[in-house]
Amino acid sequence: MRLRRPFLGALAAACLFGGAAAQAQVPPDASDAASVPSPGAESAASAPAIDPGTVVGPPRGQPLAAADLEARSEEVAALLRCPVCQGLSVADSPSSMAQSMKRQVREMLAAGYDRAQILAYFEGSYGEFVRLEPQLRGVNWLVWLAPIAGLLAGAAVVAWTLRVPRAAMSPGSGERGAAAEPAAESEPLPGPDTLPEDGRLAAYVLQVRESVYGWPGGHAPVANTPVAPSSAPEPAAERR
Amino acid sequence: MNPKVLAAGLLAVLPLLAVLFLNLGRDPHAIESPLIGRSAPPFALTPAGGGPAVSLESLRGRPVVVNFWATWCVPCFQEHAVLVQGAQALAPGVQFVGIVYEDEEPRVLQFLEQRGSTYPSLMDPEAKTAIAYGVAGVPETYFIDAAGSVVTKYVGPLDSRLLAALVRKTRGGT
Repeated sequence: MRLRRPFLGALAAACLFGGAAAQAQVPPDASDAASVPSPGAESAASAPAIDPGTVVGPPRGQPLAAADLEARSEEVAALLRCPVCQGLSVADSPSSMAQSMKRQVREMLAAGYDRAQILAYFEGSYGEFVRLEPQLRGVNWLVWLAPIAGLLAGAAVVAWTLRVPRAAMSPGSGERGAAAEPAAESEPLPGPDTLPEDGRLAAYVLQVRESVYGWPGGHAPVANTPVAPSSAPEPAAERR
Repeated sequence: MNPKVLAAGLLAVLPLLAVLFLNLGRDPHAIESPLIGRSAPPFALTPAGGGPAVSLESLRGRPVVVNFWATWCVPCFQEHAVLVQGAQALAPGVQFVGIVYEDEEPRVLQFLEQRGSTYPSLMDPEAKTAIAYGVAGVPETYFIDAAGSVVTKYVGPLDSRLLAALVRKTRGGT
């Protein structure tokens, strides 16, 4: 796929052509894999081509031929949206309309029109919608800048979220810690032997510590470590 | 709720809601044609079945209704009767022209033989005229004033009331 901006293609197709079939029909081969040139076009007497010069002025480039012409045709056709398809470029679409547009691109390149002139010619008929890459002007900047702004905003949110716990883990170590958790300096952190204030819960915690760690009475067997809150009652005494 | 989270959420959601509400009254099918108000792209095309080419230039001086259609387009069937009747009723003040879009000439001739027509249907080799007019499906009808400027474009099948209203608008613009 040569779509340069798949999200733009999908967005525009959903917005503009989501229900176009309800009003107007597209050729029956628009979604077919094979494209057949219109026999009607061949059998009709050749008609004078519309001169693109009346729309975009005289050719500004060098007339192309052979391999250069083919390569440049593909390149320019990849920048044009197939008007009867769902988000496909003219280069990618097998529809006969896209083939006609591609043929016209080739003719214009062979006549010496440059890429900007060709895009301008089709834009003159279909509007900016026909460009798969909207030009950087006016509100179009949003389309290009919004994803970058979203990415930066996301990065900022992630950075801010990661910063909070780190600051909380190092209270008093600097200004950031103090700013993130002002209460951290005034309140002591819980130690390994700290018990909850609720007496019943404290009793259970001691029981668990005793059974899991084998600590007598649930207290750590290290001198002067138990730091029970003053308001917590003695669990053993309460049970008795 | 954390006010910062609330503010961030509103910041992300409010622009989307604004876009939604601002576009509620807009028809998503309606694609503004850049040709409106500009000179209609010229053409000189041969009628289905042969004959001298019909050019837009030769019709200058009166409003022209250019209808892009095809025999494989079902809505074009019902619209055809409306256009035939309209062309008859509005002649010679308004000229109707059909331009065949991506179709085969024998089928077009068969269609016209069965259903009749009061205006020429022109073959468009390689869809160049359709591309010049920005056609993205059929039926599409362009209303061109006597000076050769595109007054309006209608996508979809026309009924007689709509046709009369758009012709009136085209005449008023001359």
